[in-house]
Amino acid sequence: MKKEIYQNPFFKANPVTVLVLGICSSLAVTVKLEPACVMALSVTFVTGFSSLFASLLRNTIPNRIRIIVQLVLVSLFVILIDQFLKAYAYDVSKQLSVYVGLIITNCIIMGRIEAFALGNKPWPSFVDGIANGLGYGMILVALAFIRELLGSGTLFGHQIIPDGWYEAGYMNNGLIILPPMALILVGLFIWLQRGIQKELIEK
Amino acid sequence: MNTNSNTYTIIYSTIMVVIVAAVLAYVSVSLSGKQQANVNTETRQSILSSVNLGQGADEASDKNAYVEQEFNKYITDSYLVDAQGNKVEGDAFSLALTAGLKSQYDIMKQANPDVSKLTLPVFVCTLDDGSKVEIFPIYGAGLWGPIWGYVSLKDDYNTIYGATFLHKGETPGLGAEIATPMFSGQFIGKSIFDGSSLVSVTVVKGGAPEGSAHEIDAISGGTITSRALENAIRQWLEYYEPYLEKQKAER
Amino acid sequence: MDYLSLFVKSIFVDNMIFAYFLGMCSFLAVSKNVKTAFGLGIAVIFVILVTLPINYLLNKFFLTPGAMSWISPALADLDLSFLSFIIFIAVIAAITQLVEMIVEKFSPALYSSLGIFLPLIAVNCAVMGASLFMQERDFANLGYATVYALGSGIGWFLAIVAIAAIREKLAYSNVPKPLKGLGISFIITGLMGIAFMSFMGIQL
Repeated sequence: MKKEIYQNPFFKANPVTVLVLGICSSLAVTVKLEPACVMALSVTFVTGFSSLFASLLRNTIPNRIRIIVQLVLVSLFVILIDQFLKAYAYDVSKQLSVYVGLIITNCIIMGRIEAFALGNKPWPSFVDGIANGLGYGMILVALAFIRELLGSGTLFGHQIIPDGWYEAGYMNNGLIILPPMALILVGLFIWLQRGIQKELIEK
Repeated sequence: MNTNSNTYTIIYSTIMVVIVAAVLAYVSVSLSGKQQANVNTETRQSILSSVNLGQGADEASDKNAYVEQEFNKYITDSYLVDAQGNKVEGDAFSLALTAGLKSQYDIMKQANPDVSKLTLPVFVCTLDDGSKVEIFPIYGAGLWGPIWGYVSLKDDYNTIYGATFLHKGETPGLGAEIATPMFSGQFIGKSIFDGSSLVSVTVVKGGAPEGSAHEIDAISGGTITSRALENAIRQWLEYYEPYLEKQKAER
Repeated sequence: MDYLSLFVKSIFVDNMIFAYFLGMCSFLAVSKNVKTAFGLGIAVIFVILVTLPINYLLNKFFLTPGAMSWISPALADLDLSFLSFIIFIAVIAAITQLVEMIVEKFSPALYSSLGIFLPLIAVNCAVMGASLFMQERDFANLGYATVYALGSGIGWFLAIVAIAAIREKLAYSNVPKPLKGLGISFIITGLMGIAFMSFMGIQL
């Protein structure tokens, strides 16, 4: 198996900052670290297993209903995740609310099935799915880290900024919790990455 | 094998649908007990927090067990009352769940509501110092989805001891603020009767006057949700009014 | 809450893109010029407007707990809500396919301008998101659901056309090189989102 399969998704071909896939759900769940981590793990699980099964079934899927078969496969895993979250992590499932359902239409999953799993053997497809899920999760967690630390002064709900700072006049940045700041932060991430990797710069 | 023929496509999709449905049905049935337990815990926790109890739940190692134990310790009695204020037999807790509250709300929402069908849950809480407060659920439609909550009254059946509100889909940072202790804390100490007439609690845009007995601040930017909550509280207290009057007369 | 208020709110206050970031993938991929953005926007309005009422009826009469009691009282305990994701996405995928075939048959001119976008819409989060929000918000009747569908579709349309117009002009401006293209589009969408937040206080 080629190294690129599990190395690229983290930096060179990161699904969020380079391929621009799966933005929809990535931004709304990054106000706090906990839902972001759960979301990252859920997406990794779904990308991994739906790629694996799509690859196992790749020679049997009738071409005409290909998209629907893929969607059914993906939604099967998403419903499993949703049911397990409701049973074992109820608070988090309430915070994620509709965004769990939106994993179905997360372009990363469909994108990886179409672009990789349908043309490759099950094991590399599984690794590709997991790596892409983690590459996506990495951005999610980084965003949530910044937003929770600056926006609420906490990490995983524990206070990080000492009380003394607040007494000295430090204030939590309310703006960074608001949705638009997530977009601006992703923009800055892209700037940073392309500053380092000049070959990604658009003409 | 020709994977593009009609027969193959139809057989393939049929088998797929059957397998997927079987897997999902199995998982859903086997996890539904656990999910229901979480919903019950949430309701118990909300009821407890309306009497300012149960704060330790999130630190407890077994949240469900902790909340149930606290609930059984403090909520010493629960019963249903009808629209005339008489106690009736029944399971108060299942009617205090959102689905139960919605069923009562739906009865009253009809054009000619059949008041005799109305059964309203009441919980009696005995505090550590021995005094009793009673908890009354409320339910209504917010800006986007249902809003509901639990309001507790001291044994004068007039002064609010505490309140908790929940919502399903209000805008975060605006309408969703009704669920914060900062908002619900304003209700503590307000009175719902003015003399003998029920005035409930009203939300005031731009800040309630200091020391007002019936008014609290609306959420800035969340006026529609605040108004909806005000209406829900008033409406449900009106349902409970015969019961409240009866209890007051007995004191 | 009356229809007009819901309509305006779903366009401006709870805008699919600026408040919930739904449908960002196709949004960023297609917003390079106004003409294609316009085409995709219209297609999205259309698909949301068709799928959401269908999903509303399915949800109301089949999926919510006890919803099937109209068939026979014996089914009153049945709770099929765990199937809702799969049903919604199946309806959306099927409708997009159907719309594609109908448009192709009856209006080849429209098909040639919209056709390429239609398959994209099945995986557009805004369409699925609208159905999921509909389920969560529990609209009182079909009318509200339809108005909400129209409003959120138009909101998405406005957002993508506005951003496309900005990006067309942006091609001539001197942006730091690593920020060009994708990076600056994100930041501009964020700034537009802040502008749209000023609608939050409106009352109708």
